[in-house]
Amino acid sequence: MERNFQKVEEILQKHGYKKENLIRILLDVQRQYRHLPEDIVNYIGVALQIPPAKIFGVGTFYAQFSLKPKGEYTILLCDGTACHMEGSTALLKAIEEELNIKPGEVTKDLMFSVDQVGCLGACALAPAMVINEEVYGNLTPEKVKQIIRRLKEEGEKDAQ
Amino acid sequence: MKVLVNGKEVELKNDSRNLLEALREAGIEIPNLCYLSETSIYGACRMCLVEIDDKEIVTSCTVKPREGMKIKTNTPQIHELRRGILELILATHNRDCTICERNGSCKLQKYAEEFGIRNVRFSQIKKNTKEDKSSPIIRDNSKCILCGDCVRVCEEVQGVGVIDFAYRGFSTQVAPSFETELSKTECVYCGQCVAHCPTAALTFRNDLDRLYQALSSSKHVIGIIAPAVRAAIQEELSMDSDTAMAERLVAFLKMSGFAKVFDVAFAADLVAYEEAHEFYQRLVNNERMPQLTSCCPAWVKYVEQFYPEYVENLSTVKSPQQTLGTIIKKIYSQKVGINPQDIVVVSFMPCTAKKFEAEREEHLGTVDLVLTTKELSQMIKASGINLKQITPEPFDRPFGISSQGGLNFGKTGGVFATVVEVMRDEIGISDEKYSDLQPGVKSATVRLKDGRTVNGLVVFGLANARDVMKKVIEKVIDAEIIEVMACNYGCIGGGGQPYPNDSRVRQNRAKILKETAGIKAIQSPVENYYLQKLYQEDFKDEHKRHMIHTTYKARKRVESNDIEILPLPKEDKTTVKVCLGTSCYMKGSYKILSQLVESAKKEDLGDDIEIVGTFCFENCGKSPNVMVNDKLICEATFEKVREVLKECQANKIKSQS
Repeated sequence: MERNFQKVEEILQKHGYKKENLIRILLDVQRQYRHLPEDIVNYIGVALQIPPAKIFGVGTFYAQFSLKPKGEYTILLCDGTACHMEGSTALLKAIEEELNIKPGEVTKDLMFSVDQVGCLGACALAPAMVINEEVYGNLTPEKVKQIIRRLKEEGEKDAQ
Repeated sequence: MKVLVNGKEVELKNDSRNLLEALREAGIEIPNLCYLSETSIYGACRMCLVEIDDKEIVTSCTVKPREGMKIKTNTPQIHELRRGILELILATHNRDCTICERNGSCKLQKYAEEFGIRNVRFSQIKKNTKEDKSSPIIRDNSKCILCGDCVRVCEEVQGVGVIDFAYRGFSTQVAPSFETELSKTECVYCGQCVAHCPTAALTFRNDLDRLYQALSSSKHVIGIIAPAVRAAIQEELSMDSDTAMAERLVAFLKMSGFAKVFDVAFAADLVAYEEAHEFYQRLVNNERMPQLTSCCPAWVKYVEQFYPEYVENLSTVKSPQQTLGTIIKKIYSQKVGINPQDIVVVSFMPCTAKKFEAEREEHLGTVDLVLTTKELSQMIKASGINLKQITPEPFDRPFGISSQGGLNFGKTGGVFATVVEVMRDEIGISDEKYSDLQPGVKSATVRLKDGRTVNGLVVFGLANARDVMKKVIEKVIDAEIIEVMACNYGCIGGGGQPYPNDSRVRQNRAKILKETAGIKAIQSPVENYYLQKLYQEDFKDEHKRHMIHTTYKARKRVESNDIEILPLPKEDKTTVKVCLGTSCYMKGSYKILSQLVESAKKEDLGDDIEIVGTFCFENCGKSPNVMVNDKLICEATFEKVREVLKECQANKIKSQS
């Protein structure tokens, strides 16, 4: 598999190699590589002349970034007050049954990862989750399982 | 300006940085855990609370004093707030005080005592942290109070930034990138984080056990004492400063089983003498200018990592520690007929980076053990011997006397001034001018009698050194010789010196060292009888002097794995590694890389090429670097690499047929 190393250079270029764009650069890196790889952090440090420890600090501060690879489908399950009251715990159980992973983990085939988050700001749709920037609301355990199964099929199709 | 402090009229300086400093000048030390005069203001610990104008309670580090201000520094309410803060910090602090490296010198422990904390109302929470003992600097985050002093000193004063805050909320901790061990990072081991840490979250490796081992063996243990130690150790021993302090230490070490004790200041004379000649030679030939001093091991590592293209500019003369170790093991041992392997050289240093220096590959086996001023003072205290009551003894000959200059190596400007002293005696000086450029940077213009002019810069603090190097590279500033000491005020402010170790204390140490040097009868290394004897007898052959010279190398900042760019799962392939480290990157290695990837995809270069990105071949002086199989291509261009690749292909075809 070809490592899209040139992608980070494109990202840096897009943001003008500017230190003050660090967070935007990291957001793009997260999107591209689904985590912040150590070699990429070092590379950004070299290119922007920022100590890597500082980038690591930013990368570990914000929940948007992760140090471990996330799945191709990143499930953010809301466990804010409204969603919690509306039964998000049962949704988590459904995800765990379907994918065999716990929050913070990623499936072996790197297809899915699941994280619990504080609030997605979609309380009217509680209980809710976000998968790759798409919001799913008014969920039930059964609906969650269906969504995941559908994505699995899509993923398999893509792979072929 | 006049203000009212606790009901009394007090005159404050008008230009103080903040209320905390203004009150400090007026004799009131407001409790604080995160304020440093040397760095930016952080305002995190909330200990420096004061009440202003009978209404608001604010942090005195973030407020400017103002005419007529009514300040209360110690109301029952403030006292209670401070106690609360201390209890909260203590609730998450590792409270193994009796077995802690900072027992007795910890600021948190001191405040807990002064504020009478005998009970912490909150239950103790243990943080899940690991100790890092991989280098002379030890990190233990279970003792960290997140004041950020180390983070700010490392980045702002030292220009390194190897540690920073990571994670968030209760999980926040100070760490290097990806929590790498310090030994695998760009840390220069200057120990300024240690010097400013209020607790034992950052300490240095204590090696006293190894000293007692050496003393209980049958080996010949030789002590060597650095200049800066004698200007600071009295702080630990409740003594006044004493110009005979070094001689008292000699007597103490002899009582403790040391066979001989030599003065590192003698080696400083030797280093200055040799370095002055090296410098004059380079000046005449106009080569490797500006010459950079090499006495400070933290600065040397800094150059190796951040200015690899200037590695050749470093003076090749070893540091005084390594010079003295070398002449003890190579010259003295022969004279007294002892096998060098039966000698243990123990150096007493103000410095944490000296522990690293002695462990550098090229220096191994020269200085066997490096102990800091703090460790020496521990040894003295444990012995129960009162230094005030012992009769001073002179250092042993032949490495026992030094000039004023040699002793002044312990503070900023000492090396440069001593090199100038040597030139004054050997070449003659017609005129000299000195001026301050910025705090921590002095400039000097010295006219030699042969008509040449020497522009010198004297720098302390690595962030200052970075500013100066930038100007040198951009040719904004002229310099033929640059002295850099990593620590503010020079070695007297080293990371192994007693606590507190702030600017106020350091200025006092500089004064003490100046006084101690001032009573030395000889001014210049040229007048040092034993030094001259060494040159006449042992260094008569010029090649013999090589023993006190060394080499440096460009050094990678981070340990990291190669990056697979175009991997090829094939046995018989040609691997092209392109360096993406700072120097190579700056000189366009990425462009070479993308051209290679492009060509490889089109199979212009054959179908068996694997491309790998790597960080640093430690050959930054000739960047950009590309490696084809085992062959390193310096100052590479795409064309050069292509030529080498073509050769490889041709050879392969030949060997196949």
